[in-house]
Amino acid sequence: MKLRWSLFLAAISIAVLLAGGARASRRPRYGGALRVEIGAVVRSLDPAGTSPDTEEAEARSEIGALLYDQRNSDGTFAGVAGSGAFHIAAWESGKHLTLAVNENYHAGRAFLDSIEIEMGRSAKDRLLDLEVGKTDFAEIPPEEARRTSERGVRVSTSKTQELVALVFVPGRPAAENPRVREALGRSIDRTAIVNFILQKEGEPAGGLLPQWSNGTAFLFSTSADAGGAKDLWSQIGASPRIVLGYDSGDSLGQAIAERIAVNARDAGIALSVEPIATPAPSRPSYDARLVRMPMTSSHPREALASFQAALVPLSGLDAVPLSAAASSEQIYERERSIVSGYRVVPLVWLPRVYGLGARVRDWKVPAAGEGWPFADVWLEQESQ
Amino acid sequence: MTFRSRLFWVFTIALLLSVGVIAAGVTVVARRAFDELNRQHSEALVAQFEGEFQRRGQDVVHRVQGIADAEGTVRMAIDLSRPKADVSVYVNDARGVSQSHQLDFLDFVSTDGAIITSNEWPARFGYKMDWLTQPQDWVSVGSFLMKVDTQDGPALGLMAVSTVRVGDRDLFILGGERLGKEFLHSLVLPAGMRALLYMDLDPNFQPTNLVDASGSVADGDRLASFIEQERQQPQERTFRIAWTPDPASAEAFHALPLLGRQKELLGVLFVGSSQQEMVKLEQRIRDLALAVVAMGLCFGLLLSWWGAARVTRPVRELAEGAREVSEGNWGARVQVHGRQEIGQLATAFNRMTTQLTEQREQLVQAERVAAWRELARRLAHELKNPLFPLQTTVENLQRAKGQSPGQFEEVFKESTGILLSEIEHLKNIVGRFSDFAKMPQPELGPVNVNEVVRGVVKLFEAQFSAVGRPPISTELHLAENLPEIQADAALLHRAIENLVLNAMDAMPAGGVLMLRTTEQDGSVDLEVSDTGGGLTPEECDRLFTPYYTTKQHGTGLGLAIVQSVVSDHGGRISVESETGVGTSFHLRLPVKPHLRTASSHPQEPAAPVAAGQPEPKPTEPPAGEEA
Repeated sequence: MKLRWSLFLAAISIAVLLAGGARASRRPRYGGALRVEIGAVVRSLDPAGTSPDTEEAEARSEIGALLYDQRNSDGTFAGVAGSGAFHIAAWESGKHLTLAVNENYHAGRAFLDSIEIEMGRSAKDRLLDLEVGKTDFAEIPPEEARRTSERGVRVSTSKTQELVALVFVPGRPAAENPRVREALGRSIDRTAIVNFILQKEGEPAGGLLPQWSNGTAFLFSTSADAGGAKDLWSQIGASPRIVLGYDSGDSLGQAIAERIAVNARDAGIALSVEPIATPAPSRPSYDARLVRMPMTSSHPREALASFQAALVPLSGLDAVPLSAAASSEQIYERERSIVSGYRVVPLVWLPRVYGLGARVRDWKVPAAGEGWPFADVWLEQESQ
Repeated sequence: MTFRSRLFWVFTIALLLSVGVIAAGVTVVARRAFDELNRQHSEALVAQFEGEFQRRGQDVVHRVQGIADAEGTVRMAIDLSRPKADVSVYVNDARGVSQSHQLDFLDFVSTDGAIITSNEWPARFGYKMDWLTQPQDWVSVGSFLMKVDTQDGPALGLMAVSTVRVGDRDLFILGGERLGKEFLHSLVLPAGMRALLYMDLDPNFQPTNLVDASGSVADGDRLASFIEQERQQPQERTFRIAWTPDPASAEAFHALPLLGRQKELLGVLFVGSSQQEMVKLEQRIRDLALAVVAMGLCFGLLLSWWGAARVTRPVRELAEGAREVSEGNWGARVQVHGRQEIGQLATAFNRMTTQLTEQREQLVQAERVAAWRELARRLAHELKNPLFPLQTTVENLQRAKGQSPGQFEEVFKESTGILLSEIEHLKNIVGRFSDFAKMPQPELGPVNVNEVVRGVVKLFEAQFSAVGRPPISTELHLAENLPEIQADAALLHRAIENLVLNAMDAMPAGGVLMLRTTEQDGSVDLEVSDTGGGLTPEECDRLFTPYYTTKQHGTGLGLAIVQSVVSDHGGRISVESETGVGTSFHLRLPVKPHLRTASSHPQEPAAPVAAGQPEPKPTEPPAGEEA
């Protein structure tokens, strides 16, 4: 009995010692410069500035979250630049940004001394730099997550928080025919898009909000119905040719559009794809376009409201306000009313995928609407 | 048409026919030679195409087999042979592999026929190619033509299939090259030739599917009907197309159908040969022929001119000689050329004119002798009449010499009176002959014929109604506005006077004397008619012969003078006579006479006969009419 207790106490002691050693090795370290590469080209850090380029707007929002301490209710930043965890140390518009740590940040000094942000890096370059350790952090396309991970790069994937949808352009003859819209919507094989194009990084979307948000996504069908689409299409007298547009710089959008064209062709629908120049023309030559809409909030009502606000000008939907106290059922009904007319056809939800360097520690995947949490990240000192 | 023109046209037509036949023959031969050359070029180009097609096909087969043998492909096949294999990881592999193997088309297809990854249509993953799963020895198939679906539309590909078998599962690799203008660009084309490729990718003819080495073909729809024929029945064909109205734009085509694995028509190769050189050659032949014809025409013109001149000159000389003879120059001669028919004809002509001249001289001589005889007879007759009373009167005087002086004085007085009278008669005879011999040349001036006629009638008015003579009434039908003629008024007055005297002599029992003037064809016609007994045709023929008369005491110079005056004024005189009805003399005097030379004046008795022969008219001989 005594021996047993002695062995027990010894084991406890060893475990405590090992745990303490491990804690000591994972203790945050101050200092170091985090090297970040982004694809966007940010030309202005003005928090009130607008840009037709979604990627630039998102990047500015991420940087703003590091520079500003306060945020308005509409998501814009408030206060003075540098009131956040970092301030601007060097700025070369569109190319390079150096953020230095704010020593007097009221929430405490960040672990990093600085953040070096290189702009305009292509996805291919970012992946390559991650592989060779030339950068510590880069956002990578979801469809490349699997391949990147197979190459030994640390990959961090968020919940699905970006919606890819097909939106019919109001006023176009093909878009104004509900049968055309429904036929095309029912012909799309979302599962194949997720499995092959996204390499299983994403979810088929039947509604606007992902399952984790409102819990009602499963109520929307995501399966393809080529037979039904073919029947619908055959009921249309003079079969119009549908032109589907995608943002010219969006390779994922192009791949999805081309797959939709294949599905449509299989259903007998005449559809061609074409890139949309930036900025988009005032008189579009396309009948429908692909849009990518990031969730600005984890809250389903706010997320749906932001989706609706983005979709109304694009699709001509009626702007029906959603009350602040809307229940899940009301949110679902609103979501259902938006997609039922096939003016907006949700396709897939995408996660945000980040590639991390080997020395990055304490990285936490940001939630929808949140910026990069670089204030909590520290860098492990590389062994000599 | 003259002989010269006829000769020219015969020569021209013969030349045109011969040159045309030669030009047509040369053109046909040249065209056949060109067609044969084009055929050889087309066959060579088709053979080159087939060779290139086969070589590229072998190359595609090797490259596709290389992909199948590659380690990555084998690993993929092994991975996919596992249960619940995840094919999605290979969805983008085809693009890289196709680029490294320089293939336009590449599909990796799983054992169930589903596309794993596609280069030409990346979004087509998951779709089936069931035909690949059919049992087939792809090695023996080699390369083949195929209609390939791409995201940009159908295309024509030279394809090959290779398989990687792991366990009981196959991985199909379908790869190939695009067949289009790049392929045509690799063909070596002779000058003037081109290769067109129609890719039969759509149900209907599409001009954009017709390409040549440089891209799309202008006016390609002109080939639509021939492509449709190939669709109906694929076989090699030749045809010709004129792209524009210009014949030089024509192009001869050799069509070669391109068939797929199932012998379906997937394309048509057109080997075109420009007809420009052919048309140029034909144009040159035509130009040369035209030049030869033009030169031939000039030569023919000269030759026909020379030939016709050589042939027709003796004939023309003969014609000219005949014309001279017809105009009275009986001494005309023609030059004798050679001894052929024309020469013999010229010799005969000369002999004829010689004989005519001789006979005319003999005739003139005979007429001259006859005229002198007539003159002598008339002189003897005229002179004998007064000589007999002279002789009788002188014999009476000789007999009266022996009578009493009173009787002698009475006889002498009576005899000298007779002598003087007869001598006066002889003087008159001599004077008339002398007057005829001394007919003066007319002195022309404006003369109104009507006035001359009125003057003559007025002169004889008293004699028309003389006592003891049956009356003669006159009828004047004188045309108004009669133009004046150029004439000698005195001579004309004398001529008309003679005609009136003749008429009076022809009407001893009275009658009607009618004078009529008219204008006709630039001349003034005067008709003097009587209602006498008329003349016989023989008398009419000799009426104007000097010293011929039908009257007892006529000299036969009246009508000769008339005829002489009329002739000297460039006019004509004729006579119409009917026995028992009367005689009409018709004078035609030109308003502007072309006077004869003095030689035509009847200085000799025979001369007026030849110079002023009146138109003979059958008439009855007048009773007592004197000429």
